Amino acid sequence: MAQRSSQISGYLALVALVSVTAWAFYGLSSLAEGRLAGSVFTDPYIHRILGFSLKQAALSASAAVLLAVPVARALYYLPNLLGKRAFLALCLLCFVLPTLILITGLVALLGSAGSLSPYLGKSWNLYGLQGILLAHLFLNLPFAIRSFYLQLQALPASSWILARQLKLSSWQQWAVLEWPQLRARLLTVWVFIFVLCFNSFAVVLSLGGGPQSTTLEVAIYQALKYDFNIPEALSLAWLQLLITGSFYLAMTRFGSSAWLSADTARPEFLPRLRSWQMLYQQLIYYLTWTFFLLPLLALIPSWWQINFEGLTKINLIKPLITTLSLGLIAASLAVLIAVLVLSPIRWARRQQQQQKQWLLEGLANHSLVLPAMVLSVGLYVWSLRHLDLEVWGIFFVILVNTLILVPFAVQQLKPRLFQFDDQYQYLAQQLKLNAWAYWQVVLPWLQRDLQAAFVLCLLLAMGDVAVFSIFATDTWISLPWLIYSYAGSYRIAEASVLACLFLLICAALVVWLEKIKNK
Amino acid sequence: MKTSYFLPLFMLFSLGIAQAADKPILTVYTYDSFVSEWGSGPKLEAAFEQTCHCDLKFIAVEDGVSILNRLKIEGDQAKADLILGIDDGLMEEARATQLIAEHGQALDKLSTSLKWVDKDFLPYDYGYFAFIYDSSKITKPVSSLKELLESDAKVIYQDPRTSTPGQGLMLWMKAVYGDQAASAWQQLAKHTVTVTKGWWEAYSMFLEGGADYVLSYNTSPAYHVLSDKKEQYKAAAFSEGHVAQVELAAVLKSSQQPELAKQFLSFLISPEAQSIIPVTNWMLPVIDGIELPPIFSQLIQPQRIGFTPAEVAEKRAEWVREWRSAAAK
Repeated sequence: MAQRSSQISGYLALVALVSVTAWAFYGLSSLAEGRLAGSVFTDPYIHRILGFSLKQAALSASAAVLLAVPVARALYYLPNLLGKRAFLALCLLCFVLPTLILITGLVALLGSAGSLSPYLGKSWNLYGLQGILLAHLFLNLPFAIRSFYLQLQALPASSWILARQLKLSSWQQWAVLEWPQLRARLLTVWVFIFVLCFNSFAVVLSLGGGPQSTTLEVAIYQALKYDFNIPEALSLAWLQLLITGSFYLAMTRFGSSAWLSADTARPEFLPRLRSWQMLYQQLIYYLTWTFFLLPLLALIPSWWQINFEGLTKINLIKPLITTLSLGLIAASLAVLIAVLVLSPIRWARRQQQQQKQWLLEGLANHSLVLPAMVLSVGLYVWSLRHLDLEVWGIFFVILVNTLILVPFAVQQLKPRLFQFDDQYQYLAQQLKLNAWAYWQVVLPWLQRDLQAAFVLCLLLAMGDVAVFSIFATDTWISLPWLIYSYAGSYRIAEASVLACLFLLICAALVVWLEKIKNK
Repeated sequence: MKTSYFLPLFMLFSLGIAQAADKPILTVYTYDSFVSEWGSGPKLEAAFEQTCHCDLKFIAVEDGVSILNRLKIEGDQAKADLILGIDDGLMEEARATQLIAEHGQALDKLSTSLKWVDKDFLPYDYGYFAFIYDSSKITKPVSSLKELLESDAKVIYQDPRTSTPGQGLMLWMKAVYGDQAASAWQQLAKHTVTVTKGWWEAYSMFLEGGADYVLSYNTSPAYHVLSDKKEQYKAAAFSEGHVAQVELAAVLKSSQQPELAKQFLSFLISPEAQSIIPVTNWMLPVIDGIELPPIFSQLIQPQRIGFTPAEVAEKRAEWVREWRSAAAK
């Protein structure tokens, strides 16, 4: 019985997920009457955008992967680095950091009136490819570092002992031990970062600086919001779907990438380093610290410039409550739905129906390749004609965010539930537990992962700008959106104060997440 | 899904938007800087509500082009009775939606220099697009569009797709360069800092020292003199002439309160409103005999060039495509 009911609710949840997407596409097609703008595929402007999207994503991914390797090695080789735990937590924070905090920090640091800009020469301009790359590097380098570091830690001590007995040089150690260990992971991480950057929205919108650095995602937004050209937006959306979809397929083939796992116990045996090597790796480590901290610290000096009288006028409470409620509801829903949709997936796995499992997982994760923009705009176009968005807008923000978060929650919970199946499912079946009793066993087993998935989703949902930008009205303002409007009108002091506050909330959540992971 | 979760959230926030009872509500779509605390919106609202026994409500979108886009999406479901903030460049496209009613105002009140004869759209202010610079930093400003393009001065302008000044620059480029506009855009792109979505983003970035020239209006220096007590900001006069922008209001056919809406239009061109607009929206009045602060007589008085609204409506999409291809290179 327990099996049946959780399977049925799982299928219902899947149907709900897919119907939201279908609803969005219906919204778009009904306005365009299903027309696609064929001209999109011959328009040189679109070719250029496509080229730029691919170029910036490839550059961002390559830079992150290349720079992460030496940092991960430094972390691995020098277990006693000062503040290493804090560094790993900071890496996590940077990866889930709401992009607007970073953008505000970068503008305060390197914008036209930034504190570092005078040292960069007259021709320096943050806006354009360089700004986009810097922001993407900041957001994704930490992910790559954590991922490679964990991979290196999996090197068995016996290999190192053998390497020493064979008197391998450090170059040979790299070629024989480290490189083979990292190689497979390198590609997965590259593709993952590539897809993230290819879909990047807020960074490109804020730091792109005009048509010469526009991505497909931003072009979709512009086609809809600027030109009101629905057929063009629809065609661009299909194009985007096609590209991210194929990269996603490639990624799932190469396997997933662990990066959130705890920093496991320190390896018992490590190769000895020469003193210049140690110095060099310490240098890398501290430089990376500086790179991660600078844009965040740049938020602070503005506090002195601020006009506190003006600040009291900012109504902080409402955006704060909006953002927190939005995050809490979307994250709870996403985790709940993830648990539900995993039921039929686990069933298929237990029955060894591999194709069915693959199909169901694809359906659960389908929003990973859907541009958030397309979902939001489809629903927006539909609801403008049917609903009062001043009231219902926030409902759609939550809906779309939930849909986007489900794959992240599924990713977090899947391994643990599979493990449960392998170890206890048979027992649970023998005991003929009813649904209530069954979940009473499963949920405590899952507790840590549920918490972790929840906090991760909460962080991601709170930082959302893309979805919010579509549904924003005067009635609803989220914290990131408020920061965006201050940063957009170049009131960097106000933007910085809000960003600092937001940063503190996120940092607290990350510390909590680290605690859960290290328990 | 658990819709019950949303209910308390809605109730919490709907408290904030509870309406004042009984009075008819007149809703106006406009752009955001018009309703900001220092803009014309709040002052016009206070003045109009004293006589109309109604509740005037502004719904602000990012800019003029967005007003039109929203109208196109909503069709006759629009919540607004009036739109305010479309300009003459967008006029024909707005008319083509067939959502606009006649304004029913006597046009003889308007300045004859405007030569306004349209029956659907009513002007409430106008100005000339101009590049603003800081005369304490630039002692020899450029004196023509050509000179600006050929210089290496850092320029910020707005996206022609979203912002009416951006569209104004597009018309300006076409009026001056015609078929050569694409290469002119490319020349400009070489020293463009950024292309922003709206006027306010561009202008604030310029004030922070982000550029040498920013696209705005010939009236912008008046704002600095009167609000900021700063005299260094000046508009550069271009020998080719300048494109003008006439800002327009119109009643929607779907309005439930056409009489009240027309009353608002009539108020908009009354001496009372026309004295508020120049010193809050920083544009020129559309009726004669408004007494303005002395700085207004020191503004540059450009020669007007450009296109008719019908020409713009016909070519706008093509010109936007030309711009985005050229500027993307």
